[in-house]
Amino acid sequence: MMQYAWLIPLMPLLSFILLLLLGKKLKEASAYVGIWLTAVPLVMSFIVFFGQWGGESYKAEGTWLTIGHAVITFGIEINPLNSLMLVIVSLVSFLVHLYSKGYMNGDERVPVFFAYLGLFTFAMLGLVMSPNLLQLYMFWELVGLGSFLLIGYYYFKPEARQAAKKAFIMTRIGDVGLFIGMILLFWQVGSFEFDDIFKAVASHEMTHAMITLTAILIFVGAIGKSGQLPLHTWLPDAMEGPTPVSALIHAATMVAAGVYLVATMYPLFAASTAALTTVAVVGGVTAIFAASIGLMQKDIKRVLAYSTVSQLGYMMLALGSGGYVAGVFHLTTHAFFKALLFLAAGSVIHAVHTQDIEKMGGLYRKLKRTGPLFLIGALAISGFPLLSGFFSKDQILAATYEDGRFGLFWLAIIAAFFTAFYMFRLFFMVFTGEFRGAAKEVHESPGVMTFPMIVLGILAVLAGYVNTSWFGTFLSDYLGKGEVAPLASNHEPIWISVVATLVSLLGIFMAYLIYKKGSLSRDWLSRHLPSLSSVVYNKYYIDEVYHAVIVRGVRAFSYGWSLIDRYIVEGIVNGAVALVHWLAKLGSKCQNGQVQTYGAVAFVGLVLLLLIFAVSGGYFS
Amino acid sequence: MNEILLSILVFSPLLAVVVLAFTPSNQEQSLKWIGLFGTLLPLVLAIITFCQFDIGSSAIQLNEKINWISFTIAHTDSNVTMPIQYELGVNGLSLVLILLTSVVAVLAAIGSFTIKGQWKSYFIFFLLMEVGMLGVFASQNLFLFFIFFEMTLIPMFFLIGRWGYENKEKAAYSFLIYNGLGSAILLIVFVVLFMKTGTLNYGELANIFANGGSGLLDSVPGETFRLSILIALLLAFGVKLPIVPLHTWMLRVHVEAPPPVVMIHSGILLKIGAYGLITFGMGFFPAEFKRIAFSIAILGVVNLLYGAFIAIVQTDVKKVLAYSSVSHMGIVLIGLAALNDAGVQGAIFQVVSHGLISALLFFLVGVLYERTGTSYLKAYSGFVKTMPLASGVLVAAGLASLGLPGMSGFISELMSFLGLFQTKPIVAAVGTLGIILTAVYMLRAVMAITYGPLSAERGKLVDLNVREMVPAYVLLALIIAIGVYPDMLGMTIKSTLDSILSGFGG
Repeated sequence: MMQYAWLIPLMPLLSFILLLLLGKKLKEASAYVGIWLTAVPLVMSFIVFFGQWGGESYKAEGTWLTIGHAVITFGIEINPLNSLMLVIVSLVSFLVHLYSKGYMNGDERVPVFFAYLGLFTFAMLGLVMSPNLLQLYMFWELVGLGSFLLIGYYYFKPEARQAAKKAFIMTRIGDVGLFIGMILLFWQVGSFEFDDIFKAVASHEMTHAMITLTAILIFVGAIGKSGQLPLHTWLPDAMEGPTPVSALIHAATMVAAGVYLVATMYPLFAASTAALTTVAVVGGVTAIFAASIGLMQKDIKRVLAYSTVSQLGYMMLALGSGGYVAGVFHLTTHAFFKALLFLAAGSVIHAVHTQDIEKMGGLYRKLKRTGPLFLIGALAISGFPLLSGFFSKDQILAATYEDGRFGLFWLAIIAAFFTAFYMFRLFFMVFTGEFRGAAKEVHESPGVMTFPMIVLGILAVLAGYVNTSWFGTFLSDYLGKGEVAPLASNHEPIWISVVATLVSLLGIFMAYLIYKKGSLSRDWLSRHLPSLSSVVYNKYYIDEVYHAVIVRGVRAFSYGWSLIDRYIVEGIVNGAVALVHWLAKLGSKCQNGQVQTYGAVAFVGLVLLLLIFAVSGGYFS
Repeated sequence: MNEILLSILVFSPLLAVVVLAFTPSNQEQSLKWIGLFGTLLPLVLAIITFCQFDIGSSAIQLNEKINWISFTIAHTDSNVTMPIQYELGVNGLSLVLILLTSVVAVLAAIGSFTIKGQWKSYFIFFLLMEVGMLGVFASQNLFLFFIFFEMTLIPMFFLIGRWGYENKEKAAYSFLIYNGLGSAILLIVFVVLFMKTGTLNYGELANIFANGGSGLLDSVPGETFRLSILIALLLAFGVKLPIVPLHTWMLRVHVEAPPPVVMIHSGILLKIGAYGLITFGMGFFPAEFKRIAFSIAILGVVNLLYGAFIAIVQTDVKKVLAYSSVSHMGIVLIGLAALNDAGVQGAIFQVVSHGLISALLFFLVGVLYERTGTSYLKAYSGFVKTMPLASGVLVAAGLASLGLPGMSGFISELMSFLGLFQTKPIVAAVGTLGIILTAVYMLRAVMAITYGPLSAERGKLVDLNVREMVPAYVLLALIIAIGVYPDMLGMTIKSTLDSILSGFGG
């Protein structure tokens, strides 16, 4: 089977090409092309995954580009980590394709939508199968392209155009870090291959400073892609894209690619304490920072977007604290419950045609399947006991604690409280109380939309049991097999679980008191701490600062340069042209018909020639 | 036929020139089709040449050599015969550029169907210019190079001056004056080289400078002499490339010349600058090139950033693309300055890649201008709605230009930076800022045209027609082909690259 694994990414690519060529004819039927061409890779991914479980790793490469004596290859690799990613990506992609069949129904550009989804899925699958850093980088950019195209899917909306552009440019800033890191590694190691890089790290071919530098540069790429501070601002804006896209790209897969990158390059990171500390601090700070913004947002998708940023921060924190398995574990569970939450949110938006939670309410009775599924997702992400998020978050906290960074540990605990609070604020405001919206008829979404949610709901409940201390550590054992990374032992002190559980229950309870029962006033914070509340509500004014400083700065600088170019540089050019004109006029003045002038000029010329000969003594000698 | 294949190739556009000369000047359709067929012939011949070419060998192939002019001069105690020969031949690099020229010429000829009036003289100039371009790349002799080089200037002058937009005359004059100054420097350099060495053949010159000795020289010419010749070459080709601050003439040409002419200009003519720097600068004076490599790297980064920053605030899409060309030629300099396999290969890739991408972008600008009568970004919005194909290709071309993997622009950018990071990491790190800026200005321009709301009066735009699809799709296919499998191009230029780099002792 492994030798056919290369077909996995090619099928969604085929879907992309077919739909570009035939989309106009296929119209609504395009959805089936997309669905079938992701269903097959899903089955294949499972086969590969179980083959890998049985211990079968695989690698195949061919020459792609020759630079001097260095041969750069292109190929595929199957290892424990990426076969897990294959399953996650192809599963969520398939479910999102299915869901989109219902969600995008009636949109006239359905073929384009499914074509872009195919392109993205191709790139994402290619990314996780890459055996070398360059190939990963190329697919890394291509998933960015897929994200860019889908954010800008509603191209006629100026906000969508702005958001797409912003996403591309912000992630590209990070990508330049990855680009430089990759090139530096190449000159250190002489190859882009992961195996060669890790060998060089292990055999101390690279200096410690170089390891730290390249690891941090690569992490800059991950910061951009995974929406970590300070490059996070594009991700909430990316919610301009259709909701299934938010579920697939901006929750489950692409944004997690940054985490995957750090996990893939883990031996490099593990060799440098400074690099790990950077990862942990950025992750931990992002986790609480984004969670705090999530507390006050009014747009259902934006709350989920900030939640995603925050959860990705958790994963980074885990990796930076040596919790390799914990990070990958949370990536897996998060993919399921966050995709579920987004799809459920999409189902809500589909029903009430607004994203403003102020205009929702009481939907639990009306959306009989979406409501409970959203509740499952909310419980899972809040770390409610025995659901998937509970286990994975627990292990992150344990890893952080064990690593000894207590500041980050307590930040993570507070972020867990925030998470439970904002999720249930969302739940109570959307699903309980009175309906505050304008829509007359509110219908549950069709089965093609609820079925993927049910699958994800089951996974959001059960996915945690792949790695628990009392049920079995399948995931740890499985990932450990690849021997790519030192694994932190997870002897979690029991009190961490207890505290984490209490904190998340407290968050849910607080949300209940404020948003359901009304025993606490909703605007308590804005009344007592107006400045703090407005800073948080306005996302710490980071967008505004970036706009004022960087965007305006670059524009002013560019404008200044273009003035210099126009007046000074071009002025010199015009001077040169004028000089030629002047010379020409001078020349034409000489031809005034007066023989005396001609004679004088000829004589002066002769004298000059003779002088030159006399001084130099001949021709070019 | 191999003995004269290159001559046939170079002069093949003349066949159509003759036919055009005997066609009445009011026969619009016939003139256009003759013009188009006139460019197809060299394309076929270029492909035949490619088939005859042995990729594995680094020698100059398909040589032709005829004694042309010779004269005798007195030298110390004896008379020396100074031969000027008609010499043609190709290596991997020049062959690739010949192929590029013949492809872009065909597509630009298709683009020229929108030219208004005076088709006869337009196509005659167009084809003469193609002879010049093919000759420049096929020459193996400085004198011949110079003649062909001049042959591109004069038709270009008329093409800009007669068929351009409002300020066409001014643009044509500044084109002529600037390039004329460049040519003057070039001529002086060539004459001095000839008088010093007694030969104009590329290979012999390179040999003399490497090993010394010739009919006129007992020793290798001094270092100062070589350095000043190299700097003069840098100046002459710097006008062409262009290197900031010698670039302003080319902005005017980009803005004022008709789009198909800009396709040729930006796609091919600018590349003569890069070709000259590689073949003469690096080929003849490797040691001196190494000495000034740091300055060239700085010039490259300046070009890259200067063009990119200014492109961000332009309001005319043609100016955005013109500054983008300045910026992208910086990548060529960056690659050359690296002086290693990766860098020089990257520079050559960039020459080809930018040739294809800028030809495609300017073709699309022509398509848009023809429909809207404007090239101001403000006048465009939401074209995806009515022109989905054109918009799709435009977005793709923009992405190629900003270096998206899977397209040719990425490969050249990657290799150029890869090269420079090995030898001059700090300069290279500053240059990577250009990668971000390119995304900023390219997306700004491309998305202003294609995305956003469509204004009501723009309702009736028609999408690409069949004639317009050919250049758009062919160029896009080539851009993607190189991006997906770069070794296709890499193998063709490999042996040339090796022989250039052997001059640097590596």
